Amino acid sequence: MSDQDLVVETVREILAGHEPLLLSAERPWDEGLWADLAEAGLTGVGLPEEAGGSGGELADAVAVVRTLAAGAGAVPVAEQLLVAAPALLAADLDLPAPEEPLTIAVDGAVTAEPSDDGDGPGRFVLTGTAVDVPWAGVARYVAVLASPPAGIEGAVLAVVDTAGLAASQAVNLAGEPRGSLVLDGVGVPGALLSPARAELVRARYALARAVQISAALEQVLAWTVQYAGERQQFGRPLGKFQAIQMELAEMAGEVTATAALVDAAVQALDRGEDTVVLAAAAAKVRAGSAVEVVAKRAHQVHGAIGFTQEHRLHHLTRRCWSWRDEGGTELVWSRALGAGLVAGGGDDLWPAFTRVV
Amino acid sequence: MSSNQLTLAPAPPSEAAEQVRLEVRQFLAEELAAGTFTTHVDTWLSGVDPDFSRKLGARGWLGMTWPKEYGGHERSAMERYAVTEELLAAGAPVAAHWIADRQSGPNLLRYGTEAQRKEILPRIAAGECYFVIGMSEPDSGSDLASIRTRGVRNADGDFVVTGAKVWTSNAHHSHYGIVLVRTGPPGEGPRGKHQGLTQLLVDLSLPGITVNPIRILDGGHHFNEVVFDDVVVPGDMLLGTEGAGWHQVTAELAFERSGPERFLSTWPLLAEFGRRAAATGDPAQLATLGRLSARALALRQLSLRIAAALDRGELPDIPAALVKDVGTTFEQDVVDEVRRVADVAASLDSPDPLGRALAEAQLHAPGYTLRGGTNEILRGIVARGLGLR
Repeated sequence: MSDQDLVVETVREILAGHEPLLLSAERPWDEGLWADLAEAGLTGVGLPEEAGGSGGELADAVAVVRTLAAGAGAVPVAEQLLVAAPALLAADLDLPAPEEPLTIAVDGAVTAEPSDDGDGPGRFVLTGTAVDVPWAGVARYVAVLASPPAGIEGAVLAVVDTAGLAASQAVNLAGEPRGSLVLDGVGVPGALLSPARAELVRARYALARAVQISAALEQVLAWTVQYAGERQQFGRPLGKFQAIQMELAEMAGEVTATAALVDAAVQALDRGEDTVVLAAAAAKVRAGSAVEVVAKRAHQVHGAIGFTQEHRLHHLTRRCWSWRDEGGTELVWSRALGAGLVAGGGDDLWPAFTRVV
Repeated sequence: MSSNQLTLAPAPPSEAAEQVRLEVRQFLAEELAAGTFTTHVDTWLSGVDPDFSRKLGARGWLGMTWPKEYGGHERSAMERYAVTEELLAAGAPVAAHWIADRQSGPNLLRYGTEAQRKEILPRIAAGECYFVIGMSEPDSGSDLASIRTRGVRNADGDFVVTGAKVWTSNAHHSHYGIVLVRTGPPGEGPRGKHQGLTQLLVDLSLPGITVNPIRILDGGHHFNEVVFDDVVVPGDMLLGTEGAGWHQVTAELAFERSGPERFLSTWPLLAEFGRRAAATGDPAQLATLGRLSARALALRQLSLRIAAALDRGELPDIPAALVKDVGTTFEQDVVDEVRRVADVAASLDSPDPLGRALAEAQLHAPGYTLRGGTNEILRGIVARGLGLR
């Protein structure tokens, strides 16, 4: 059994005690699931022990995120393990304790000015509104990617303690909190990032969503295959009809192709390849387009029951419909990928293509 | 899910592959500059150039993974993959040797006699010996096991072959075919017709063989009908085991279905479109370029994984069917997506290279999702991998 198998098994055991929630304003996340994960050290997987984490590799963190995504766990683990915490570490900023939920904010208009509060270098004052913040109001800490002071390129990455800050109550299609956070001259620790490092933070966010989509779509396919084997019409299981087989095979093609590219992009990130932004862009675009086909076909095969909140399917299809928009839409990343591939000139497409992953 | 049948381990990174990739790229740049070929779409079907094939053979880029005793070069599947995808991306004329190098050679290595290997493999590796696929027949397309070409043993132990094969690419330039014939009766039950089939190694110059051209949509002559009229095929040209033809064909198809040519047939069109998008900087064109490239990147990873699995001696027939389904759908979609955002009319006579590439890709497009097994058949195989049948 590999380390990842062990991690997956542990997460699955914990998930077994937590049915997916129907999220609401009163119950915007699964606090009990988070507590169990945190107690088992799973909210620090892949983060070095000297920084307060549980140790392990990126592959272990990805395994945790994949398993939680497939189980529709309503917790900010992808944001913490794959985006915010690694970004803070890379910027030499202190991590909050892994038991405290940490999320990421890359959108909106937040500016950072060096602090003159006398606390020395590495302090900034943040002003503005961060929007589309995953788990706003739930996560105690937010890693905010803010605009740098005038005349400086790149961005400022800062850690905000949200205690006492109000978050607006917006949610995504699955009911996951995606509100705004008003920052009114908050003094926080932070670090200046070069444009490339700032782009890497965005790429991490996109790749995290692609990882989640990939895992969720694999689960959707498995559920749909299972349903097609059980549901009988005209005296035989749906899966015995060629028309249904064609739909399921098309889903399998999308799921398998997405997984292969997402895996490759994760490996590019792990190796620190300088093409990782393009790899993440490609993974996000591919995963997003797979959602179109897989969610549509899954609902078609499940019939009317899959169109209700009584059935489990919506926990994953609604998430995938939102995750594909988050961390940069397919349009944004496909433009970035297209432009990046011909950045060396129109004749350079193929060589650039073979370098991505 | 039954994903264990669909999911394969990632391919190992290969420094050697990146090295040979640069050598091939350099070679292709020189050949293009010298005007020995011009880039076209779908050249693994239509680009027959024996001189070019011999050049590749001389450089050690054919039969790359085969044992040296058979003229091969004992290089890795990843190195071979790099060579083949570079050739395809450049739209180089590789059709003469393509089938022999891709599937006939590996088939001979797996099932051939020592004499067959010694006689033929070194010539394939030299780029001098070309093969056709002898599977489809006028009345047997997707239902391959229903073939009617017969091989009857005569008193000398030779096979007397009668029947016809169709869509036989480049038979008029080729030396051998691996021909699937019925040598025995079918068995009982729905899969009974898989019994009694045999692969024969047929020298296409034998008396009684007639090659009739069949023109495809653009007027090109690549397809043929190959008629066998009491052709006496020596008994020692049996390939593998008599009656095991179905199993052998299945193995051959894993090679046939999974390579980079299953998603790169229209790459020269995408490359031309990339030049256009770079020149215009049009956001819609760049987005389309990115979206198509993301699909191609995913396909490449899948295809590489299959190459690695084949190299490990596995038989990933179900993932191979999947990659061909997804890959050839992509090849067709390149045409549709490009023309949506590029203001250019497809014409073989267009002064615009993008218009010419679009025309070539469009006129060849119906073939992508038919050759090597229709996508409907492939999806049936994937459905079987999902445990549905």
